[in-house]
Amino acid sequence: MRENPIKRLFVTNRGEIAVRVIRACRKLGIETVIGVSEVDRESLGAKLADRVVCIGPAPAAQSYLKGEIAVTAAKGTGCQAMHPGYGFLAERAGFARLCAEHGLIFVGPSADAIEAMGDKLRARKIAEALGIPMVPGTDRVAGSDDLVEFGRRAGYPFLVKASAGGGGRGMRVVRTPQEAASAFEAASAEARAAFGDSTLYIERYLERARHVEIQVMGDAHGNIVHLGERDCSTQRRHQKLIEEAPSPVVDEALRDRMAQAAIRLARHVGYTNAETVEFLLDLDSGEFYFLEMNTRIQVEHPVTETITGVDLVAEQIQVAGGAPVSRAQEDVRLEGHAIECRINAETAERGFLPSPGRIDTWQPPSGAGIRVDSHCYPGYFVPPFYDSMIGKLIVHGSNRAEALTRMRNALANFTIGGVATTIPFHQAVLAHPDFVDGRITTRWVEEKLMRELYQQEPVA
Amino acid sequence: MALTHDDVLSILKIIDESPYDEVRLEIGDLKLHVKRRGDSDSLVPVQTVSKSPERQGQGPAEQQRPAQALPPSAMPAHGEQLPIAPTGSQPLPEGLIAVRAPMLGTFYRASAPGEPPFVEVGDKVGPDDTVCLVEVMKLFHSVKAGVAGTVVKILVENGSMVEHGQVLVLIESYQRTPDAAIQ
Repeated sequence: MRENPIKRLFVTNRGEIAVRVIRACRKLGIETVIGVSEVDRESLGAKLADRVVCIGPAPAAQSYLKGEIAVTAAKGTGCQAMHPGYGFLAERAGFARLCAEHGLIFVGPSADAIEAMGDKLRARKIAEALGIPMVPGTDRVAGSDDLVEFGRRAGYPFLVKASAGGGGRGMRVVRTPQEAASAFEAASAEARAAFGDSTLYIERYLERARHVEIQVMGDAHGNIVHLGERDCSTQRRHQKLIEEAPSPVVDEALRDRMAQAAIRLARHVGYTNAETVEFLLDLDSGEFYFLEMNTRIQVEHPVTETITGVDLVAEQIQVAGGAPVSRAQEDVRLEGHAIECRINAETAERGFLPSPGRIDTWQPPSGAGIRVDSHCYPGYFVPPFYDSMIGKLIVHGSNRAEALTRMRNALANFTIGGVATTIPFHQAVLAHPDFVDGRITTRWVEEKLMRELYQQEPVA
Repeated sequence: MALTHDDVLSILKIIDESPYDEVRLEIGDLKLHVKRRGDSDSLVPVQTVSKSPERQGQGPAEQQRPAQALPPSAMPAHGEQLPIAPTGSQPLPEGLIAVRAPMLGTFYRASAPGEPPFVEVGDKVGPDDTVCLVEVMKLFHSVKAGVAGTVVKILVENGSMVEHGQVLVLIESYQRTPDAAIQ
């Protein structure tokens, strides 16, 4: 096997994923340089990296979203590669192109593949052409009249979504004709602010569905393998809270059909590196529908790593350096069951209000089958400028029941002081018979659990 | 007795041109103690009675970690820690104003190769005078002195990468105003 051309890698991200990338690089013998904002100088990523450069002030728009700064910093520190993590610059085709123009290996797919899949309407057209089923919906909508017309024809509720969107932003549920105008305005304003593109489209809002996604890994040699599914149905406002693998509602035959659809899509756009194809599984019809394809490593990648034994981040870096995917499809085995809880510095009973501040106590659980991915430590200050996720707790069990027990114990042994966290919320979910029995849908948290726990009504 | 700003400057000028490294001046209840330091050719005027704050051996220049590309051999082995970027808040000698990089980029002392540098050590500058350029992807940002004074030290090599907030130039200010440039 030829030598990895990546000797030094620039991490253009923060938080737990920066730490995750640095750890993968250490394992591979690759040096790391991290670009940090002014408030992240004392972050764990900054402490672990071989070299730290300050890329700008705290607001992400002036630091973590500045592609030209990241490229200048990477070149100026002698890096050969750029890892964007997730969020920030990870799915900006222009950034991938800029890296290529400056001779940097972008750890991710080609700019063309990002472009094809980043525009959700374009991605839907590609999927449609490949015969992959999609949630019924529309092409671009011009105004709230189009929404009312769709509602009259297809019924309520439905979703209005940003074509350039992702992460639940630029998205609104429309439940009545009266909501159409405000939903259109809000989604389009949010989309313009977040993505610089206010194009919207409509998708039917399935009553009873689960979010199931397929992890795919491709390389420059034309190999594309899948690593099974993740079930991310425990969501609130389209933000994932808990993920697990395998899905409690997916059997071997369904997994295979979904995986083949995901691979077909990846092959069509010449996909290299790690990606995720998201589907909605309609529990009423048993049919699955293409949602979108994410051209990056995902937050919830550890559940897949846990049941397959594949280090996805290391794999990303090796594949970017020209290596083939390390496993053939027939060597991918799913062992046991994994669950991940996203630990956010938020107060669930107050509408998941962010709770930044100084962490005075940080005692993560440990033991067999327990993994914590985090950038936090005692005394760490959670800055108010970024995402409120402070860690991910992942457990592995030989089956789902064992994983559930292990997660309950791990949550009980996770002590965090100084900031409010979502640990009590996760404990409530893990204790709920609907979750234990695998009977939840993507709307369960908002429409049932929040009512039961905090008497909170769902909001659009 | 009142000592004006101009008086101080005149005294400093006299001392600067003298061969002495240290001068103590006592007129009535006013005591002036001035020491010259070899490393920067600068004067550090200190109005003092007994404790003249010594500039530590590690001035900002020494703490500065050069930001240019290093060959792999210059990187520490894994496990060893490089210090965190030095652009934080180490104390500056009194009277010196730091001109910091407004963004990460490439530092240039002149408007073009072959052109004379914007400033040299010893030059007098006004607040709006350009002291250097920082370039990001062919976009050049001029960095102003921000204060009237004398250029005391230029800390970065022409053409090297500088970090956001890195100290580029030290200026000895004529005015004793709070250090606005640092914020």
